[in-house]
Amino acid sequence: MSGMDDDEVFKALADPTRRHLLDRLFARDRRTLTELESELEMSRFGVMKHLRVLERAGLVVTRRSGREKLHYLNPVPIRLIHDRWIDKYTERQVSALADLKAELEENAS
Amino acid sequence: MSTTTPTHLATQVYQIFIKATPEQLWDAITKPEFTARYFHGARITVTPDHYESLGPDDAVWGDAGVEVFDPPRKLVHGWRSMYDPTLNEESESRVTWEIEPDEDGVCKLTVTHDRLEGAPRTAESVSGEGWMGVISGLKTLLETGRPMNG
Repeated sequence: MSGMDDDEVFKALADPTRRHLLDRLFARDRRTLTELESELEMSRFGVMKHLRVLERAGLVVTRRSGREKLHYLNPVPIRLIHDRWIDKYTERQVSALADLKAELEENAS
Repeated sequence: MSTTTPTHLATQVYQIFIKATPEQLWDAITKPEFTARYFHGARITVTPDHYESLGPDDAVWGDAGVEVFDPPRKLVHGWRSMYDPTLNEESESRVTWEIEPDEDGVCKLTVTHDRLEGAPRTAESVSGEGWMGVISGLKTLLETGRPMNG
């Protein structure tokens, strides 16, 4: 993957099963495919497919531990999306409200 | 207060893609003039056998051994949270930095903080925002030449 691409992250997040998988990993990561599969009404192949998309987006990182492949949640891409796409817009809203408050209070006095 | 670390916090993995060469990343991780700009102001010096972190007031924030020193690929060092007296009572954990070149002049950096079983409060305090703030600050510094909030 290019790794610098928000598209992969948005695409990965645009699916309820993948969001559910992220929530499961958020609650507890360091899990095998078998563990993750046992909590979902889905074939092993289906879960693998979704995990691959999450991995490509960098949201899931796998590590080998002996014979097991463990899945970890990597929260960093979401944080970067937050910094890039959410902070910026909420900040302006907040400051617009602050300006409005200042203006109203000034007029009232 | 918990005395054992919840399983999901005992090993924490953070991965990020940064547009920089492996050598630039290595320097940014091991040299104090760089770390001071993204690691809570800490001046961190890593040599083949020693990891030292000093706070802005020269207080010792970290002092540990180095397990792997393989520039510019892999660094493994001990972690003690000496910046906080309560956290400092906990047992030593371990931090691994892995740098892998990707496409287009981008490197994949993976930070793994593990062996946190005996350090539940440290595990809690470095999790999520802790490491994420540090490595996204590192990314901003290397890609823009400026510290996050500077």
